[in-house]
Amino acid sequence: MIDIIGKRKYTYVFSGILLVLSLVFLSVWGLNLGIDFRGGTLMEVRFQESIPAEETEETTSFTPPTRQEIENKLSDLEIKSLSVQESEDNKAILKYISSDENLNREVLGKLKEFDGEIKQLRVDFIGSSVSNQLKKSAILALLTAVVGIALYIAWAFRKISFPIPSWQYGVGAILALAHDLIIVLGVFSALGKFLDVEIGIPFVAALLTILGYSVNDTIVVYDRVRENILSSDAKENFENITNKSLNETMARSINTSLTVIVVLLAIIIFGGATIEFFALTLLVGVVSGTYSSIFVASALLVSNYNYKLKKIN
Amino acid sequence: MSINKKIRIHFALVILLAIVSGIIAYPKTVKFFPLLYDKVSEPQINLGLDLQGGLRLEYKADLSGIEEDKRQEALQATQDVIERRVNAFGVGEPLVQTARSGGEQRVTVELPGIENIEEAKDTIKETPFLEFKEEKTEEEIEAEMKKMEEIFAPMNEETKNKAQEILEKVKAGENFEELAKEHSADPGSKESGGDLGFVKKGVFVPKFDEILFETEIANGEIYPDLVETDFGWHIIKKIDEKGEGEEREVHAKHILFSKRTPQLTPDLKYKSTDLTGKNLESADVVFMDQGLSQPQVQLNFDKEGSDLFAEITKENIGKTIAIYLDNQIVSAPTVQNEITNGEAVITGNFTTEEAKNLKRKLNEGALPVPITLVSEQSVGASLGKMSLEKSLKAGAYGLILVAIFMIFYYRLLGFVSAIALLIYAAMMVSVFKLSGTLSAWPITLTLSGIAGFILSLGMAVDANILIFERIKEEIKNGRSLDGAIHEGFLRAWPSIRDGNYSTIITSMILIWIGTGFIKGFAIILVIGVLLSMFTAIVLVKTILQFISGDWLNKRIWLIIRKNNK
Repeated sequence: MIDIIGKRKYTYVFSGILLVLSLVFLSVWGLNLGIDFRGGTLMEVRFQESIPAEETEETTSFTPPTRQEIENKLSDLEIKSLSVQESEDNKAILKYISSDENLNREVLGKLKEFDGEIKQLRVDFIGSSVSNQLKKSAILALLTAVVGIALYIAWAFRKISFPIPSWQYGVGAILALAHDLIIVLGVFSALGKFLDVEIGIPFVAALLTILGYSVNDTIVVYDRVRENILSSDAKENFENITNKSLNETMARSINTSLTVIVVLLAIIIFGGATIEFFALTLLVGVVSGTYSSIFVASALLVSNYNYKLKKIN
Repeated sequence: MSINKKIRIHFALVILLAIVSGIIAYPKTVKFFPLLYDKVSEPQINLGLDLQGGLRLEYKADLSGIEEDKRQEALQATQDVIERRVNAFGVGEPLVQTARSGGEQRVTVELPGIENIEEAKDTIKETPFLEFKEEKTEEEIEAEMKKMEEIFAPMNEETKNKAQEILEKVKAGENFEELAKEHSADPGSKESGGDLGFVKKGVFVPKFDEILFETEIANGEIYPDLVETDFGWHIIKKIDEKGEGEEREVHAKHILFSKRTPQLTPDLKYKSTDLTGKNLESADVVFMDQGLSQPQVQLNFDKEGSDLFAEITKENIGKTIAIYLDNQIVSAPTVQNEITNGEAVITGNFTTEEAKNLKRKLNEGALPVPITLVSEQSVGASLGKMSLEKSLKAGAYGLILVAIFMIFYYRLLGFVSAIALLIYAAMMVSVFKLSGTLSAWPITLTLSGIAGFILSLGMAVDANILIFERIKEEIKNGRSLDGAIHEGFLRAWPSIRDGNYSTIITSMILIWIGTGFIKGFAIILVIGVLLSMFTAIVLVKTILQFISGDWLNKRIWLIIRKNNK
């Protein structure tokens, strides 16, 4: 049996460092909000496919404009926070703040000067009224989810009140959740800063899924603690019971996470650009959720219990 | 019924379920049996716009200019107009909806299966523009014609010079036929080198005839000057002739250089009035004499429109008024008398179909509420197809990897759960396919939905992992295989239930705040969680109970390492 609870100091320190780093990232860099929350346009275009060399003797094969050329071409439209990204197959992704569709029309018009055959592969345009609304509903959803989960946990553990009251399981689970969410936010704050990864609606969906998933993990551990408390004789100490429960559920926690991680990796590797960051968010959350349910959630219960014990003595 | 018999019946049902859902999910398995194949390949997965390509446009409707009690009506009318417009576009199954959102009235338009985003958007956005135009006065028309002539004069001069130049070349002996092919503006004879064949007198315009029939040109000779007709300037070469008197026919070739002449086009004839689509309240198809006669299109103007129309009709009695849609003339009825009641009928030689079309067009011209685009998600069909392929590939790899992992770690138990996972996947696909036909809530599979589906593959085995860990524990604690299986399922249940509840709670919240991406993801996740509970518990338990017995008891290594005791 591995003594996880006994070594909780180390995991506290480790989690503490991650949390502090995440909070620092968040307060310094904030989150890199995408067009869903900021309003704006994402336009993916493809310039004409290059003509195969054997068909044309002369060098008429088309070279797509570079990032710089596109930016120069669009400069007189005075677009706010324009970012241009080139990608393979003569594709380019443009992102900018826009308030109406006319700007999108003008941008396409300008791009047509490079190549009349240019094709729009994808256009996402979010007006400011919609983005404000999305922001509100995202926050509302997160809050509702947290409250809903807290109520649910309190209900799920209503039956046991020994040796700690049931609501404390709820608090433990929520703290573990907060731990996971803050770390995910911190990771994406850093990703936003260095890789220009943007936070949109998919990110919120992923966060909520992590909420559900992380709690799921924690509940399984707590369930085992509950079961072991009921079946053990009264003398056995809470710390040992918890540690035993953790060891018993460890294989399950890790295996479950592994299967989810495997499918998420499959999405990230094969699933294409549109959902890879969605899957990445989930991945970070699942890893953190597994870690917190094993090393943080139960340890918190024990720390709290011991603290109470000391006070009584 | 003995327990064994019951287990066997349950197992048979599991097999049946697996086969049925397998066939529905992948109809090609029964291709050899066409009757069944046709039937099962009928239901298709309803793909979202991001996978089949398409546009989703959200407009804000500005109702501020409309009286409170008429707003709903105006909105409905707007929706109808847009609906007609996108239906005319003829793609997939367009969807137009209105909804209140964030204190604003929104109109959303969904158009599936679009390859060219910009073109499609133009078609939707395009507001047919209705105008009423009246005839210009004779002086005005004359002045316009003069102006045109002045514009054309230098151009025609140039053409004439060109003609002269070619004439010199022909005279100098260059190949007439080739020059005709290159320069002639007469489409009928151009390709044959200007050949007009044998003709009698009177076929061509007088000036042309005069040269052919009344001028002495030897066969094979070219008339030395340019011949000017209404069409332009001709270079004429006589080839041959036959017959006498009335029967005389001449064979000639020519090269035409066409002349621009002002023509009385509708644009030249009519001028704008103040009456446009903004004054139109509605248009209807009406029949004179209770449907026995020709259909007519009746227009109803608003107050301002009625006054304008009265004025215009009063001034134009006996003349025509042109009705323009998108700068194209649709009809030009003659005004019989002044019309003051704000109603006008367009009589034309309409068929009922044409009248209905015109009515539709006119109604479209009068969009009752101004709309502005507030959000757009468009995906070209090719990108959608690519997303679909990629995500399906990701799903397939995910499924295989999870199955490998389970078999590797849990051996026979893992194999059973891998089978259950396959059945789960087949059942999910069947649910996607059948939701449209069997229920009122067709599930639309979006890219995020596929992500939810793939994620659910990973989560589906969670219940099995919980159960299997328990079974292994119970075996280690010395229970019989049957007992261990029974206990494993029993004891793992509360954890499975609690864990899945939390996922369902968050998914419900996601569905509730639901914009497209989130909703697609959460709906599939909820269905996945529910269905996976069923497969992981009921299906796996049935299969395990069926295979559990003496044979397996003696080969417990298929489930757990022996030395682990």
